[in-house]
Amino acid sequence: MGSGLAAFAFFFLPLIELRPNRLASGIGFSLLELQGDYSYLVLFFLSLIPFAIAYRTDVGGRGWQLAILGNLMLVFSFILPERAGQLILTDAVTYLSDDVIINNPRILPSGGMFFGIFGGYMVLFGGLQDLRRADVARWGRLAIGWIGVLFIVFTFATGGLENYSFMVELRNNGERLQEVTIQHITFVSVSLLIGFFVGIGLGLWAARSERVAPLILYSVGIIQTVPSLALFGLLLAPLAVFGARLFSDIALQFIVFLVITIAYGALFSSIQNRVPSMARTPLVIIGALIAAIPLTLFVAVVVAFLYQIVLLRFTSDRFFDGNTLALLIFFAAFLVTLVRRFLPDEPVRTRILFRLNSGLIVFGVLFVVFLLFESARVYLGGNVNLDTLSLSDLGISGIGVAPALIALTLYSLLPLVRNTYAGLNNVDPAIIDSGRGMGMTPRQIFLKIELPLAFPIVMAGVRNAGVALVGIGTIAQIIGGGGLGVFILRGINDTSIDLILLGLIPAVFLALALDASLRFIEGVLVSPGIRQAEDA
Amino acid sequence: MIEFVNVVKEYPNGFRAVDNLSLQLPTGEITVLIGPSGCGKTTSMRMINRLIDTTRGEILIDGRSNYDMSVVELRRKIGYAIQQIGLFPHMTIFENVAIVPRLLKWQDSRIRKRVDELLELVGLNPDTYRDSYPRQLSGGQQQRVGVARALGADPPIMLMDEPFGAIDPITREILQDEFLQIQERVGKTIVFVTHDIDEAIKMGDRIAILRDGRLVQFDTPDTILSNPINRFVRDFVGTDRALKRLGLYRVSELMNTNPPRVFMSDNINKALEQIEKQGVLSAFVVDEETGVLKGWVDRENARKNTSLLDAMSESGHGDIAVRENATARDVLSAMVNRGFRVTPVVDSKGRLKGSITLAALQELNDMDNDYAPTLPPALDTEE
Ligand SMILES: Nc1ncnc2c1ncn2[C@@H]1O[C@H](COP(=O)(O)OP(=O)(O)OP(=O)(O)O)[C@@H](O)[C@H]1O
Ligand SMILES: [Mg+2]
Repeated sequence: MGSGLAAFAFFFLPLIELRPNRLASGIGFSLLELQGDYSYLVLFFLSLIPFAIAYRTDVGGRGWQLAILGNLMLVFSFILPERAGQLILTDAVTYLSDDVIINNPRILPSGGMFFGIFGGYMVLFGGLQDLRRADVARWGRLAIGWIGVLFIVFTFATGGLENYSFMVELRNNGERLQEVTIQHITFVSVSLLIGFFVGIGLGLWAARSERVAPLILYSVGIIQTVPSLALFGLLLAPLAVFGARLFSDIALQFIVFLVITIAYGALFSSIQNRVPSMARTPLVIIGALIAAIPLTLFVAVVVAFLYQIVLLRFTSDRFFDGNTLALLIFFAAFLVTLVRRFLPDEPVRTRILFRLNSGLIVFGVLFVVFLLFESARVYLGGNVNLDTLSLSDLGISGIGVAPALIALTLYSLLPLVRNTYAGLNNVDPAIIDSGRGMGMTPRQIFLKIELPLAFPIVMAGVRNAGVALVGIGTIAQIIGGGGLGVFILRGINDTSIDLILLGLIPAVFLALALDASLRFIEGVLVSPGIRQAEDA
Repeated sequence: MIEFVNVVKEYPNGFRAVDNLSLQLPTGEITVLIGPSGCGKTTSMRMINRLIDTTRGEILIDGRSNYDMSVVELRRKIGYAIQQIGLFPHMTIFENVAIVPRLLKWQDSRIRKRVDELLELVGLNPDTYRDSYPRQLSGGQQQRVGVARALGADPPIMLMDEPFGAIDPITREILQDEFLQIQERVGKTIVFVTHDIDEAIKMGDRIAILRDGRLVQFDTPDTILSNPINRFVRDFVGTDRALKRLGLYRVSELMNTNPPRVFMSDNINKALEQIEKQGVLSAFVVDEETGVLKGWVDRENARKNTSLLDAMSESGHGDIAVRENATARDVLSAMVNRGFRVTPVVDSKGRLKGSITLAALQELNDMDNDYAPTLPPALDTEE
């Protein structure tokens, strides 16, 4: 099937397209029109071979042949047209009419090529299925499955695909791309981090208190229904006003409201039992509203400021000394965790490793705090004057990153809160009961039973939130927040698919990488006793 | 000893689940709490380790109120096993059993020895199961781990809430037998909640029957079966209580330890002599060397034949005998099945140990009918 499609496409559809510049439409070239060299016909014949193979009945042999062939189709579909394109480019002038402006002429993959890749993929996939049926070992299937893609990536990395239009854009925008990618990563990680703490905190609170649970769950649910554009708009005005304020004023307000909140909370819990049950819900809501003020102030300032200094950290010239060290420390801690998991339970050894692990983590955290502190100092220019320091100096204003970050943080809340709540509520009460019955303290029950059991579900929430944030983050550019949306928006404005791809592809890779690394962490930390039991 | 002194439990909604309960649970014995669903068994049991607070009254453990020490300390001294088992799925079997010893900060080497010992005690090979996770075990195996975990730090007291309730009948029997053997070795003070009267009779040294949060009768299984205090108890133990009661007695307690016996090499007159002397219908033939039961010879045949070997009905001991550790109930069933009025009793190797007659079983049932049970105050009325 796949090969038929590919053969048909190779023959009739244009394989590549030549464009004089970013905007103008181009002319297509199909297989037979690729001048000069008929070696490209190999593609066509390649795609016919699967028909012959399909009649073999020995599943294993057929699987290997199909898989290899699929890989070849993938790779050739990708690479051969580029070679051909190079030839075409050199005589670009002869193909194009005279009245177009030639500026960075480029080769665009076209319909035939996409079908070719798709067909190759289908052949490969069929081969992999055969191999699975023939009980070929997992690593073998993984290897044959990815080798073609790896080869393409390798060619790409060594500059072998440079005539494709996408690569042309990459060449022209390389530095900016690096910049906005770092911005994007910072975006996502800062808001995910804040969302993580706030969301898990709220989730815990909801799981512990029947009464506030609906309140919390509804609130974060409602946030999710606000379209992201509207949310940016909503944040625009208040943040603009907010940003003009002096930091000292805000700090004062924060303290005042915090005191009011605490007083209210104390008052409420002392008279709680005397309040008629009808009045309780409104009182809780009022309490939540009062508490929301200092919380918002705090989160807004911290988030915006944190973002600035993290970004500064990552873009600083001395990126590699500090950051790399911190990363190395965490990586080492992680390795120790890994080793510990796979060592037989030898108490002395594990205890040493445990100490080592905790030590490394503490050290790493301290180091990161120190780095952030450093950056904060650099950011504020070293001469902080509290009287004139305004919030916009801390990075808060109506447009730019502050509203984007706040919106992203808010969006990350729902999956985090919901999953934390569900994870904790899903723990079998009998398990907690036997823990209590054996004399575990509430803290031990939480840390040793509830947390490990809820962990996979919480992590699924973190993954969901993270992947969603990578996507939503591309919208931030609308209010000048930067990130990979920069290219996407420009691409939309210019109707240039290449620019859109330039923003899109890194975003997809980011999302995949984030998901994969979170899954990896999960795989190491989740006990084998409950693994895959709750894979949602 | 665990002592309930006028214990009352009222739930916040005003429901009185336990009403003025006074009860003394002797040290080293299994006391079964039983009664219809909702009668307050679980509530009573959970008040002992303060998983539920008492409303009024006191629970004394060896004379000290259970509110005299910290709740965590109290619970670590009391083993706890429940019907849902509640093993921690993210921990290995080793870690599960090691919970309380770890809470008590035992040395690692001591914990490891203890866990292996416990796994063997409950019939699980430590090397096979130590590093497994609960989900890799069958329900019965999990419940064994549950029992091992409850025994973890060798607590003097164990609370068990329908521990075998969710297990199929055959496995349940096996676990009950194993648990009784364990108890023979460890001699804990055990509070055992069940709603299955057969289990109560089998497991209990004493049975407390509860109804609507009140104690109805507290006695040995034998007394409860022979002298139920009122119609409620009578109905609760069931109409076959005479039969159930037979289940309480071992054959070894009731048998005639000197049955008519001849050796294979003896002559026929010896057999006749034995039969006449004891005034019975038949004598058992055993192997001279090993003492293993080979068959029997009855009076008719003994008179007709001249050689013992001709007169004797040969039979494997498995077909005609019962084991000495069988219950009287098993014997009755065997006798009815085979149509015997008398049955030989053998040990595990098939050696003749005694004999038991149908008459002896009947006698047992008539024996206690004039026994007056001790009545708890204010409960000696039939409704
Ligand atoms: N938290 C509670 N609040 C109010 N009533 C309760 C509560 N827990 C139990 N009860 C009531 O107390 C009574 C005794 O409950 P308990 O669990 O002790 O019964 P039980 O004898 O163990 O029954 P079962 O054999 O069904 O387990 C029941 O009627 C039950 O409805
Ligand atoms: Mg119960």
